[in-house]
Amino acid sequence: MPSQEPKADSIKYGLLKFIDITGFKVFDPVVRLCFGEEPQKQLGQIGRFMIVPVIFVFCCMMLWAYVAPRHKTKSGEVPDPTQVWGALVVNDTLHKRENEKEADFLLTGEARTKKIAEVETLLKAKEAEAKTLKETIPEIAASVQSDIDASLAPVQKKYDELKATHKQEVDARKEKIKALAQSVANNEASNEQLIALLREDSVAKKEARETQKAIKEQIAAINDNPPKVLKNTQLQYSSIENEVQHLKKRLDYLNSGNRGQKVEKAEQAVVSAQEKLDAAEEPAAILAAAKSVVKGKEKVERITSQKYPRRATIWFQVWRSLFTVFIGFVLAAAIAIPVGIMCGLNKVVMACLTPLISVFKPVSPVVWLLIFQIVVGAFFPNPETHPLFVFASSLPWIGGLKVNPAMVYSACTVAMCAVWPALVNTALGVSSIDQDHLNVAKVLKLGLWARLTKIIIPSSLPLIFAGLRISLGVGWMVLIAAEALSSSDGLGKYVWDEYQNGSSQTFANIIFACFVVGIIGFFLDRIMIILQRSVSFGDGAATV
Amino acid sequence: MSFKRKFQTFLLVLSVMLGMIAAQNTIFANEPFDELPTLELEKDELKFGFIKLTDCAPLVIAKEKGFFEDEGLQVDVTAQPNWKQLLDNVINGELDGAHMLSGQPLAATIGFGTKAHIVTAYTMDLNGNGITVSNDVWDSMVEADPSLDSPTPPHPISAESLKTVVQDKLDSGEKLQMGMVFPVSTHNYEIRYWLATAGIHPGMYTSQDIKGFSDAQVELSVTPPPQMPSTMESGTISGYCVGEPWNQKAVSMGIGVPVTTNYDIWKNNPEKVFGVTKKWADENPNTHIAVIKALIRAGKWLDETADDGSLKNREEACRILSQSNYVGADFEVLKNSMTGFFYFQKSDRRSMPEFNVFFKHDCTYPWYSDGVWFLTQMRRWGQITESKPASWYDETVKKVYLPAVYLNAAKRLLAEGKIAKTDVPWDTDGYKPPTKDFIDGIEYDGRKPIEYINSHTIGNKD
Repeated sequence: MPSQEPKADSIKYGLLKFIDITGFKVFDPVVRLCFGEEPQKQLGQIGRFMIVPVIFVFCCMMLWAYVAPRHKTKSGEVPDPTQVWGALVVNDTLHKRENEKEADFLLTGEARTKKIAEVETLLKAKEAEAKTLKETIPEIAASVQSDIDASLAPVQKKYDELKATHKQEVDARKEKIKALAQSVANNEASNEQLIALLREDSVAKKEARETQKAIKEQIAAINDNPPKVLKNTQLQYSSIENEVQHLKKRLDYLNSGNRGQKVEKAEQAVVSAQEKLDAAEEPAAILAAAKSVVKGKEKVERITSQKYPRRATIWFQVWRSLFTVFIGFVLAAAIAIPVGIMCGLNKVVMACLTPLISVFKPVSPVVWLLIFQIVVGAFFPNPETHPLFVFASSLPWIGGLKVNPAMVYSACTVAMCAVWPALVNTALGVSSIDQDHLNVAKVLKLGLWARLTKIIIPSSLPLIFAGLRISLGVGWMVLIAAEALSSSDGLGKYVWDEYQNGSSQTFANIIFACFVVGIIGFFLDRIMIILQRSVSFGDGAATV
Repeated sequence: MSFKRKFQTFLLVLSVMLGMIAAQNTIFANEPFDELPTLELEKDELKFGFIKLTDCAPLVIAKEKGFFEDEGLQVDVTAQPNWKQLLDNVINGELDGAHMLSGQPLAATIGFGTKAHIVTAYTMDLNGNGITVSNDVWDSMVEADPSLDSPTPPHPISAESLKTVVQDKLDSGEKLQMGMVFPVSTHNYEIRYWLATAGIHPGMYTSQDIKGFSDAQVELSVTPPPQMPSTMESGTISGYCVGEPWNQKAVSMGIGVPVTTNYDIWKNNPEKVFGVTKKWADENPNTHIAVIKALIRAGKWLDETADDGSLKNREEACRILSQSNYVGADFEVLKNSMTGFFYFQKSDRRSMPEFNVFFKHDCTYPWYSDGVWFLTQMRRWGQITESKPASWYDETVKKVYLPAVYLNAAKRLLAEGKIAKTDVPWDTDGYKPPTKDFIDGIEYDGRKPIEYINSHTIGNKD
């Protein structure tokens, strides 16, 4: 059917254009293949540019999985891909648990009683499971200990024997030295002989020490590497116990900690205060009762508006980091673009700003963070009542992200480091506008505003966006460091907290966070590429 | 002099007795329990800070077990990266209060370091620190003292055997480097005490030398607690004094050997306090009392014992503390010291039932004598640069420690039946009786700070 052909074509070219703009050109042959265009060629392309890279990445993963458990460090083993995947699961579970608790906190009426029964049965099952597992742990521990003792015994024996023989040797040598010293005193032997003997003695001592040390290291190695059964069972038990605790906490939130329950309780207090007020006769008593009614009502209002105190989970940290980097990036763009345009248009402005740019551009983000911490802190003497934060926390989405001074100075640090690439690129873009275009503007006697909007900005947009893209990348990198250092919530703080926790999960969590940061950075970059392409003429920017 | 002294003592005794009578009247006789005015909270959403150490437990437990909730408080507790940042956040209002080193409120109030008037009405715990040395240093110590070469060497281990290591380093033109957590931390004073007892000079602070390296044979530098093990592993320091779980961590990583705990250095020494700014305490007196009430209950919960004398709630506490937003270390590591055991080496597990005390021995009461001890150490090591009269110590500590708030909270808890009458020292003057429970046996009497400072060989004298 002829009418189908152009339609399919238009879909095809639409798709191709889309993947071209988003920079996923690798999928180009796939689309073409789907539409039956030169299958041989497309398959070749797919093989070379999709399958080979996938195999390569897979090989990297295999290498990682092979090397990781063999690289032993004192802080623990390097996690393999499955453990990192496990970290993702654990972090996600924590997030889901927060959701459950929040739901429980808000639940009322029939649904609440139903939920209580549900959680209670679950709790009982888990507790039973935990109990049986707990009973097996001492057995396993005992068998592991006996294993260790068994393998330790010969080494320890060897060590003790060695120590004894060394001690004998030392004593024997001491006697010999004493005797020789005596004979030196009696002029029966020379000083040199004594010195030689002493030297011999010190060498022998050193050797003995070395051999002892080697055996001690063997002992330590046995102690340090107990069979994994025990640890695995302990971890399993721990995770069930954590679940039990979570369920108990849920029951708390369903019963006494439940918002509806708390409101009810407070309302009852108001009612009884009201009764007291009605019954009171003396002015002082009336006043007191009336006061407690007012207080009670205030309390009811306060509890009604209470929110569940969420613990910061990984996905919360991601959103907060994204918001912070967005603020920082917008600040950077708002400074960089106008200043860059001025620099590009006027050589004097450029000359004035060059020293500032060249001095401040290479400064480390850490330094900026410390400076902003001091400077920005001064603007918020009382953060809780400051209008900016009160306003931010009243906003629907942003309110939950805990906007605070730490976020402000993290964002400022991001802006400070992200401003330079955008500024320099803007200046470059503006100053490299084709002189013909400017001449046309002169001929047409365009005003400054018209010149800006009609000629200067449009023709420098590709470079401005190229600069902004670098800026966002820099900002994202800087943010993680800034958050780690300032303990402002976000991915940086997550990584830092994990490092400080020093638990057996630490390593896996940090590598997991590394992937999260990387993947988000990748998508941010793609977004910037799309923006850049949509304002560029012709080829636009590279995709890598 | 003796007459004057006697007269003063007489007056003191008299006033204490009068005070007791008055207290008895107000607390137990005239005012029935249920007639205490209810607390009108000035603020009910609070944010507290802590450092990732097991002794932040009262704060975490008060939140997780709902003790804050019972007082009508909604509390958020957040980990802070280091002690300096924590103090700064309390001062700038970002935090309402925090888990603090005992020395911090005193030092801030007298202006050593950041100056701000900080007060405390609650002592969070006793003991809980250890001194760990790297494997290399331990090997040299064993060589110097063969009695240590055993899977279970005799305790307490003094710094005598460390002397040769220190001397060897000095001979090669270096100084042994060790870590502590903060200039005014208990750990700093403890490791100095331990070294100085064996005649090793840990260095003096002077008005020019704020790092405390003057005359030092061993240089002590600041490292945040969670970074201690990795800093030692990297070789920057060869030993450290820190709270738990960071000593047990060194054992489980196999990078060092804890040689002593502060229980051996000073039996039942005060460790952390709950600090707020004076401004905050003045603006929120009732909230402050409510917070202390919840904390007292948390302390009591942590030290509750089962019939066989074991600490029955500690395992649950460890479970809570092992959450990654609190201490976050492995449950198995936290459990050691918290349930009354301590690994000195992998082969050397000892029972230490009082390694962490949260309520026993009237631990939570803000004792003036504890505060004075810290001030004497600041003077001994030169952080307080000029000589002060004995009265200054008493006045300073009374500016910082607020037993009145504590007693008010305790009185309410007693009325609610949450604590027993014997749990709280109702009628003390705030000074503990003199004690000789130190590693060197020198007597400490909080009423005689100058004599105490002068009784040490190394350090400033007045």
